Amino acid sequence: MPYLYNTPEDQRAMLEAIGCASIDALFDTIPEELRLNRPLDLPPAMGELELTRHITELAAQNLSSESADCFLGAGSYDHFIPAVVDYVASRGEFYTSYTPYQAEVSQGNLQAMFEYQSMICELTGMDVSNQSLYDGGTAAVEAVLMSMDVTRRHGEVIVAQSVHPEYRQILDTYLTSLPTKVVSVGCPKGTIDREEFAEALGEDTACVLLQQPNFFGCLEEVRELAEQTHAAGALLVVVVDPISLGLLERPGEYGADIVVAEGQSLGTPMQYGGPYLGIMACREAFVRRLPGRIAGQTVDRRGKRCWVLTLQTREQHIRRDKATSNICTNQGLFALRASVYLAAMGPEGLRDVAGLCLQKAAYARESFANLERFEPAFDAPVFKEFVLRDRQNRVDQLLTDAESAGILAGVPLGRWYPELSDCLLVAVTEKRTRSQIDRLVDFVAEDSKDKAPLHA
Amino acid sequence: MRNKQATRLLLELSEPGRRGAVLPECDVPCQHLENLVPDRFLATSVPNLPEVTEPEVVRHYANLSTLNMSVDTHFYPLGSCTMKYNPKRNERLAAFPGIVDVHPYQSDRSLQGLLRLFYELQQILAEISGLGAVSLQPAAGAHGEMAALMVAAAYFRDQGESRNKVLTPDSAHGTNPASAKMCGFESVTVKSTPQGFVDMDDLRSKLDETVAVFMITNPNTLGLFEHNVAAIAEEVHARGGLIYLDGANMNAILGITRPGDFGADMMHFNPHKTFSGPHGGGGPGAGPIAVTEKLGDYLPVPIVVKKNSPDGPFFQLEFDRPRSIGRVRSFFGNCGVLVRAYCYLLTHGGAGLRRVAENAVLNANYLLSRVKHFLPVPQGESCMHEFVASAAELKQDRGIAAMDLAKRLLDYGVHAPTVYFPLTVKEAIMIEPTETESRETLDHFAEILFRIIDEPVDLLHEAPHTTGVSRPDEVAAARKPILKWVANNPPT
Ligand SMILES: Cc1ncc(COP(=O)(O)O)c(C=O)c1O
Repeated sequence: MPYLYNTPEDQRAMLEAIGCASIDALFDTIPEELRLNRPLDLPPAMGELELTRHITELAAQNLSSESADCFLGAGSYDHFIPAVVDYVASRGEFYTSYTPYQAEVSQGNLQAMFEYQSMICELTGMDVSNQSLYDGGTAAVEAVLMSMDVTRRHGEVIVAQSVHPEYRQILDTYLTSLPTKVVSVGCPKGTIDREEFAEALGEDTACVLLQQPNFFGCLEEVRELAEQTHAAGALLVVVVDPISLGLLERPGEYGADIVVAEGQSLGTPMQYGGPYLGIMACREAFVRRLPGRIAGQTVDRRGKRCWVLTLQTREQHIRRDKATSNICTNQGLFALRASVYLAAMGPEGLRDVAGLCLQKAAYARESFANLERFEPAFDAPVFKEFVLRDRQNRVDQLLTDAESAGILAGVPLGRWYPELSDCLLVAVTEKRTRSQIDRLVDFVAEDSKDKAPLHA
Repeated sequence: MRNKQATRLLLELSEPGRRGAVLPECDVPCQHLENLVPDRFLATSVPNLPEVTEPEVVRHYANLSTLNMSVDTHFYPLGSCTMKYNPKRNERLAAFPGIVDVHPYQSDRSLQGLLRLFYELQQILAEISGLGAVSLQPAAGAHGEMAALMVAAAYFRDQGESRNKVLTPDSAHGTNPASAKMCGFESVTVKSTPQGFVDMDDLRSKLDETVAVFMITNPNTLGLFEHNVAAIAEEVHARGGLIYLDGANMNAILGITRPGDFGADMMHFNPHKTFSGPHGGGGPGAGPIAVTEKLGDYLPVPIVVKKNSPDGPFFQLEFDRPRSIGRVRSFFGNCGVLVRAYCYLLTHGGAGLRRVAENAVLNANYLLSRVKHFLPVPQGESCMHEFVASAAELKQDRGIAAMDLAKRLLDYGVHAPTVYFPLTVKEAIMIEPTETESRETLDHFAEILFRIIDEPVDLLHEAPHTTGVSRPDEVAAARKPILKWVANNPPT
């Protein structure tokens, strides 16, 4: 076995020291009738070479953003990752360590966490950040639970339909066993219906959950929504795209109380949906209700500046069922990746990435609009993603054809929004070139010829 | 030889005008910003991130990394966390573009290799657990606990039963009661006996028709196999309840006994422990769950299914599962961790996994035999993959606490064991060597511990002495939290 040390001689000597006759006898405390008296029925063991061959074969059966032009988004994006991010994150001293329970031999991790928290605060305009949650979706749900705790309102939460549908599904799952009701506000024009929103707000609304830019890529009128939310005594929870904050107003400035995000865009590969980074930051007043680990600055016994895990009385290992969350293992590695990414980008770099996304998405959107077949489904301004309506109503076929041509053209929306079954969501990151965008549009133009619209 | 300049805060390294990444020119016709986004949405300034060069970033983090202990560099017997060797081949394989550069909303057709991998992983985990239905979705052990408790809640709702309690032993990990609470259950603690096992009388006194689930860790957090587990399961089942197995300690029993065979209805795996996933300074993990067939319908969606067609098998995500609890996270799961687990499992095969367990248990018992003569191990005649020593006597006699021993170990170049957990042992020191350590390392560790115990008390109280910082003031940190950098806060 490749990772074991003990030779048969070692084993004999060790058993002797223990005073045990055999390895089997070490398991004597397991009642005989509970034992598995056969080998596990698993595929045969593979050496490194065979395993490499096997995984190479499996990997070759998958299309990737290396082998196809990727215009898929919807919460996971093909952004460029500078090599320094991989370099730092793969250093064993970061990669193979764990939660910094012993601060003295974890100052590297702790300082990196502290810097991460600091940069997330700069980016979001919030006062405090934790060290990560599982992903954007669970972070959004944790923020909702936290809002209920802060406001002591458990009656209802308002959620815009322009929030990522999977995030809303997670919320539904988490709230199943709790008395809280989810009030859903429609977005017929791609952004929150303001009348419906005003009506939904009530005395027992704990929070409003919205997304900026929203799931359709559109910009919500966040400032006004924040005012209305606060007037009702509720908290505003905003899901943001961290890349967009290179250009867009910081949520802290327009009144967000809790900001959450999927941090994958900041230096983590798409890897079929995880592991990712749940970002969460909030106003100072709520810090003791924040879920997850937090690094804090202090001094050591010689008066030297250093870092520790702090405010641990919020956490499960101390408070058990009274903890603010059950999270233990988190996504620290991706917080590190996000930090290195943000440091490598700097303020100008992040602005440039955001700017490129914005310009290229606008170019793609306009190119599509020139085709007879498509129209932008919504008029609201967008950042790096937009919804197209297919007048031929052949979204699925189009996506299949495009895939065969090595283009991942977009995400169909029908599975979450039946009324948008003739629509697809297209994302354009800074990685896409003009020629890739042109190829996509040309392909679609070609695909559209001589085809009559499909009617349901 | 420490480079203290490079490890100042990024904020302190920042100089206006410096930058790392340079982005390409815009290759599409560039429009005025205001034409694309109305002013009211735009930030009035760029975010106040550090301005540093790429070489500075590298030197900063490379130097920071040297301030950590890690599995690659140190013995790391952190009990309950299974800090085993993280195979490098898994890293290379999980980084193939066909695995790492894959978008979660690609079609099933474009991902047959990856879906086959996950399908096989579901099968493998079902075989190891003895539980037929598997979901790979949860993001960590605690998340798996929660997902499974939600499965239980949905099952009881379907049965028309309202059971509102979850029982956990007092030796359980904190995530167990915390997960119960998050799922809307009342968490009730069951006592342990002095020998470290579930107290059957206490369990019986709390077991009634309001109990939904009994969460048990087996081997438990003392490193002991709950030999009564079958009887416990029988009693819980007789009252209509379900058994949840916290699988954090699966490393001890791989191929030896299976949760499904000793009465568990549901369990989670911690692939970042048992199946060698690197811990990343706090995460990622993954928390796949396995449940009995009758609970399988309630698992989160999607799961991977195999359809046979004339062209051969086709693997696809199945969403249409009407009884499912829904989703517990976005997208498929912590795939990168799952791929590494799959590589680890294929490296070992069935017989190899059993050898993992055997050597993990052998190493722990060997270390136990070396340590128990000078450091009491209250429940420690023998153990499974880990054992819990106690510094209670040392504390009483000489004022030496578990934390003092932990801190002094750092001076000798080994990571400290887990301390003060489980809560049922006073001054607990929880030691898990894992199977990927040599006899010499175990001997060395035992010798260090032996030496430390006789060292002057003051020396221990002020340990560690050789690290850059020593005994951070945690009370001050919590009383006046400083949770982000502020300008003009120079290092002292
Ligand atoms: C016994 C036990 N149960 C549950 C957990 C929770 O697992 P995770 O940290 O993966 O959420 C842990 C690990 O931290 C553990 O040691």
